[in-house]
Amino acid sequence: MAQIDLARLSVREANELLRKYGAEREDVDILNPDARHHVGVGLVHPINVRVHGSAGYFCAGLTDGPRFTVDNNVGWGVADNMLQGSIVVNGNAGAIAGVAIRGAEVVIKGNMGSRAGQVMKAGTLLCCGNANFMAGYMMYGGRIVILGDSGDKVGQDMTGGNIYVGGKVIALGTDAMQTDLPSAEEEEIRAFLERYKIPFKGKLQKIVNAGKNLRYGKPEPRVRIIPFFMASEQQGYWNTKVQEDIYVKAQIGRYRIRGYGAGRPLPHINDLAFRKDLTNLPADPEITKKVNLRTQLGGRNGAKPLDLSMPVMIAPMSYGALSKSTKVALAIASALSDTSENTGEGGLSNEQREAAKQIIYQCLSGRLGWNIHDMQRANGLEIYISQGAKPGLGGQLMAKKVTKEIARIRGIPEGIDLRSPSRHPDVLGADDLVIKVEEFREATGYRLPVSVKLGAGRVRDDIKIAYKDGFDFVELDGLQGSTGAAGNEVLEFVGIPTISAIQEAMDALSEIGASGKMPVVLMGGIKDGIDACKAMALGAHAVAVGTGAIIAGGCIACLQCHVGQCVVGIATQDPEHEKRYNTPVEARNIHRYLESLRWQIAAITHALGYSDVHQISRNDLVALTPEAAAITRLPYEPELAERAKLLRKASLPNSTLGDRLP
Amino acid sequence: MCGIAGIMYKHKSARAGVGKALISMLDACQHRGPDSTGFALYHEPKDGEYRLRFYVGEGDAAEATVGRIREKLAEYQAEIIDQERAAGSQAFRVRFSGDLQKLSYDLEHIAKVFSIGSSLDIVKDIGGAHDVDRGYHVDDFKGTHGIGHVRLATESDVAPDASHPFWATGFADVAIVHNGQITNYWKMRRRLEKRGFEFNTDNDSELIAVYLADKLSHGVSLEEALKTSIDDLDGTFSFLVSTKDEIGYAKDRLAAKPMIMLENDDLIAIASEEVSLNRLFPGSALNTHEPPPGTFRTWRRSI
Repeated sequence: MAQIDLARLSVREANELLRKYGAEREDVDILNPDARHHVGVGLVHPINVRVHGSAGYFCAGLTDGPRFTVDNNVGWGVADNMLQGSIVVNGNAGAIAGVAIRGAEVVIKGNMGSRAGQVMKAGTLLCCGNANFMAGYMMYGGRIVILGDSGDKVGQDMTGGNIYVGGKVIALGTDAMQTDLPSAEEEEIRAFLERYKIPFKGKLQKIVNAGKNLRYGKPEPRVRIIPFFMASEQQGYWNTKVQEDIYVKAQIGRYRIRGYGAGRPLPHINDLAFRKDLTNLPADPEITKKVNLRTQLGGRNGAKPLDLSMPVMIAPMSYGALSKSTKVALAIASALSDTSENTGEGGLSNEQREAAKQIIYQCLSGRLGWNIHDMQRANGLEIYISQGAKPGLGGQLMAKKVTKEIARIRGIPEGIDLRSPSRHPDVLGADDLVIKVEEFREATGYRLPVSVKLGAGRVRDDIKIAYKDGFDFVELDGLQGSTGAAGNEVLEFVGIPTISAIQEAMDALSEIGASGKMPVVLMGGIKDGIDACKAMALGAHAVAVGTGAIIAGGCIACLQCHVGQCVVGIATQDPEHEKRYNTPVEARNIHRYLESLRWQIAAITHALGYSDVHQISRNDLVALTPEAAAITRLPYEPELAERAKLLRKASLPNSTLGDRLP
Repeated sequence: MCGIAGIMYKHKSARAGVGKALISMLDACQHRGPDSTGFALYHEPKDGEYRLRFYVGEGDAAEATVGRIREKLAEYQAEIIDQERAAGSQAFRVRFSGDLQKLSYDLEHIAKVFSIGSSLDIVKDIGGAHDVDRGYHVDDFKGTHGIGHVRLATESDVAPDASHPFWATGFADVAIVHNGQITNYWKMRRRLEKRGFEFNTDNDSELIAVYLADKLSHGVSLEEALKTSIDDLDGTFSFLVSTKDEIGYAKDRLAAKPMIMLENDDLIAIASEEVSLNRLFPGSALNTHEPPPGTFRTWRRSI
């Protein structure tokens, strides 16, 4: 039995030691914990750990296998995302006990705080005392046993799983109901109690999901295809798109869901031009070798940065919204172009991991597919707060796409209209966020950069928080960003344009004296190398492409991503439809698209007279519209508009798209 | 965005501790707010005397501000008994018997007021708990109770006067520390402004302080004022309030912000995280309690 004394070691040192003892299969006593956070985070070995006193936030978080005993209390988020293993807390637990567990056994001998078991997927959370507000909030599976009183709104918006209450059911939450308790189930619970030597003679009441909110009443209809690009060309007040929208609403009687992003005219990167005349760009195939495009991201706190061959990465898109074939094609293309792929919300499959050279693993509010093992094999971690297409809202995945396989990897019931929570269970402010970031670093031994994905809303405040909370970089997504499914009005009208977002971000960093200290990756309507250069001139350190990559890989932009029957096999989980997707061919196409960006970025950098893409600056830009000038404070020079058009023509060189078809 | 802490001692023998205790508690949760730190401390009041503290900054501008404050005090026949300059702030002890609210509104227009009260002294600055201690010698402070705050600035500047605790502008001795965000801030503020109250900042915490102090000035008990605050304030909040004789807490119904408390025969201590409480008793397992959502409570000093 080894001893670790937290009166003498930092939690970081203690966790490193703990992992070492874990690998050696030696049990550990932790002394003088004094309610410090992150005790035992990231442990993946089946050892016994005894905490002699109280632990703070995320005790035993992001673990698989260990058996913890805590003599006294724990803070927020005990056993966060624990896979297998157990923890017995002899005192009380703070809020969100057992958050997102995926099989663990969590036993709280005292009371537990609010929102216990939020988004849990499997396993048992037992509270011998009273639970508090919203126990079982948005749980997807597993069971919560409360021997005392339930607290208010128990089972609020639970999707799956069971809650058992031995004391008073204070009040049921939305879409929860009481039901009979089969004797076999009761015996299982009594056996569990016995195993943990907990005497209980009382009667249990069972609470389950009432099934009223799992699916939209009427599914989205399939409609006549008006491709995104035709729809967004029509700028009239009444137009074909508006007409279609009204037809759809007349059928479903609610807000309409569609794929893609804002299609209405908005200030955008097109409204900027280079000050210098670049219309005579040389069609030099060697140009990419003449300037430095290499870009590193994420080293500001000592982690191993992402190392990209150019300042372009693949934007986060989920396996779920997209087919596995598409995710693999993106991963292959990112490796061929020596840049990075991003998992989005839906977890990390082996195929994606193998195909991608560098991959960012994203953590969202529902913790769907999130686990310690995939964290440890990623190249970067990212906390998703929101996205440009729908700032402030959670993800949506319609029932047709929630197949058995998707449900398994995400840990949710099959065939529901999945609406992810709009907030993280354990991030309700910048102060909680800093503790969450630290948990990720502890879980991965401070090796990986931790970034944050922000939808452009209150960018000025958000960027300052991101900097102060110590993120290694930010992925900033503007209003022109796309998604697989969101409400039409949200897509069109919520958030601020990409060009405003990057300007606010740079202003914010400057206001706190942090210019150049935290890289910002800009996305949301970046379609080519020209956009990329302008974004970088405005201050972005790199850009990410999502829509562009998907289109390069065969998307026809029909706006039906949410329906799940994508005709080209991209936005679907239906094997018949997915068959239509030729992964190796589309991977090459996406790769060639990325290479066209590389060529353009290199050519522009060179033509502007620089040897390194990161030398491009605001001084290289002018604004072509009064709006863009007002947003960016760049000089207003509309007479350069013609030149900008010529540049777009000139910079499509040596037929990058010529051999597009297989 | 921040961490909060408060303490009240029950026995005279323990009186040595308030400054030291608050420094330890805030240092333990400094990760919640690295930008600035502040303390609301309560001295023994003397009849007819008030303590005033202003943020004046440094250099010639500071001297000019101090001059204007002196003139205003003279105009109101407030006699200066003692004064102190510490870390960009200027404090006075004055003998005064006029309309305190009128005086404080007038003073606000010429300088940034940290606090006014017969007992209350708010000290706050950018930096951590130990940084502020170096400027103000909080460590030496002895008393029965006090509250403190660490701040991560989100919507306003990192500046001494934007730091917490906040004084209930115009009302002697009431201070607040708050973790959260009041979403009906402007609606509530306009309501209070219509009744003639003035605000020193655009910070939602100041609003809570003025809201509570207004109730107190109408003879409502602190406990009752906290009770109505849970109905009247929208948003997320865990806050501590202190007066010269009481401390109290209130917590929103959504339980979105943490709070944990410890009460024993000697003291009541409340903080955002247990790690702060454990700093007072290193190596001990504590019998703490998490206040449920939508609850409030007050304690009155017994010594």
